[in-house]
Amino acid sequence: VTVALTTGMRLRSQVCDTEVIVVRPPGRELVLTCGGAPLIGIAATAGAGLSLDPALAGGALLGKRYTSADEPSLEVLVTKGGDGTLAEGRNPLVLKEARPLPASD
Amino acid sequence: VRASAGAAVSNTGVAPLLGLPVTVAPDPAAVWAGDLLASLGADVLTAEQMPLLVGPDAAVGRRRSSEGEEWARSGAMVLTGRTDGPALPAPGTPAVAARGAAFAFRVLAGRALAGLDGARLLGERAALAGLVRRGTISPGGGCRLLPTADGTVALSLARADDDALVGALIEAEVGTGAGWERAAAWLRGVGGAAAAERAALLGLPCAVVPAGGAETACADRGSDGTGGCAPWRLTRLGPASPGRATRRPLVLDLSSLWAGPLCAQLLGLAGARVVKVESTGRPDGARAGNRALYDLLHAGHESVALDLGSPRGRADLLRLIRAADVVVDSSRPRALRQLGVVAEDLVAARPGLTWVAISAYGRSHPWAERPGYGDDVAAAAGLVARDRSGHVFAGDAIADPLTGLHAAVAALASVRAGGGVLLDVGMYAVARACLAGGPPGRSDPAPAHPPLVAAPVSRPVPGAAAAPGVDTARVLTAL
Repeated sequence: VTVALTTGMRLRSQVCDTEVIVVRPPGRELVLTCGGAPLIGIAATAGAGLSLDPALAGGALLGKRYTSADEPSLEVLVTKGGDGTLAEGRNPLVLKEARPLPASD
Repeated sequence: VRASAGAAVSNTGVAPLLGLPVTVAPDPAAVWAGDLLASLGADVLTAEQMPLLVGPDAAVGRRRSSEGEEWARSGAMVLTGRTDGPALPAPGTPAVAARGAAFAFRVLAGRALAGLDGARLLGERAALAGLVRRGTISPGGGCRLLPTADGTVALSLARADDDALVGALIEAEVGTGAGWERAAAWLRGVGGAAAAERAALLGLPCAVVPAGGAETACADRGSDGTGGCAPWRLTRLGPASPGRATRRPLVLDLSSLWAGPLCAQLLGLAGARVVKVESTGRPDGARAGNRALYDLLHAGHESVALDLGSPRGRADLLRLIRAADVVVDSSRPRALRQLGVVAEDLVAARPGLTWVAISAYGRSHPWAERPGYGDDVAAAAGLVARDRSGHVFAGDAIADPLTGLHAAVAALASVRAGGGVLLDVGMYAVARACLAGGPPGRSDPAPAHPPLVAAPVSRPVPGAAAAPGVDTARVLTAL
């Protein structure tokens, strides 16, 4: 199932605790996965019989932002950490640098 | 007679000042100081006396005052209200609390520090940066009070790229520069609590302003069994090391912006050596803010910059922490944990360490990991003024200087007793404590003459702050 990724959409992993929110949508269609299985809508039910792919079990860190080396306009923010690796297909997403601290509040 | 008229404060049974004799005059700021010291274990007696607060090594306070007078002369009142309207009073006793915390600090420091006027620290940043009151926009511009379907929230958009997060918040594309307008339009159609929850997912500081303001903000006081809205929570995690109390303490300042650096700076005034530690990739953002404020808070401190993305940098950070007597940090607990720096474990492992953990809501609060800044957290606590049209900000990021002052008092108390303590200071808890101490302010008789509303002033800036990392090699080599 391919979901069109839109700004603010919340997604979750089918094989671990990971949840993300789309901060910047990609400029083209792509399939985001976590732990080897496609991410699904936050309220959707995980498919039966799926399990974490040990080759894609690097973990997703709470509060970190990830993007795709091939599609740098994409930005997802992890809202709940988990054991799976976030990926485009089987191509792992990369951690974006932490945002600079504000100059004042 | 135990002082009891002012702040309702307490802690969790850690008493670094056990038996320290202190006498306080029945002056609101002195009573506030007495309550802070009593909550840290001091033996506080009241007496008609001048100076207002007398400890074993120092006596401070030569002028009685009320919240009304202190707020007016603090410089914060000028920053409160609408641009085209009058300067307004604040709820609770923030100016008395600031003055009282400085009294308590000066008594513990045992040094003159005569120029340290706690209430005036509230207006210091505004004085240096030329900030003015703007009603529902914070003086610094980073926070706004915005109406929702069922009340008001305080939302901070402090970073340049927060517009993208507003897009994710409202589930729409938001162009650069349109963040405030789009967020405000979205908020009008949603409930405040739901908006705050969704903003929290994105790490955007957003908090519901209590509808009753200060009156209800502390209604749950005592529910934690402490009998008060404590500005801090002290936990003994390791043994004290009394020998450390006798030498010049080393303070490692890992914090950023205002509250943490102010705490470290005050400890420096009390005689500590202060080393600021920053990440090479992510230095204190305040370096890019008002230069004079950064210099004021960091002049005379050494500067170390470490690449915290590398194992080497993280190992150096741990070495520095093991050599320190005090660590001041102001990050969310998980930020340091993700670097392998666990405050609780380090205090337990290293006798004599005092860890001052400053955060928006406090480590024991359910919102421990939510970000927050001085304006939005004060608003969340109910520390906002109001006029006939609604809430307006009280002071400039007022929870920041209040927190820096209060954290410094408890930190110095812990250092005196040889440390071994995690000091959890939530800016929210500090702001609420300033609202809980209602009686001194509210029972003041109206002054015969309205107090002079003073413009904010700053302490003199003693010199320039060290450039980032100039002391790295020397400090690491000397360890």
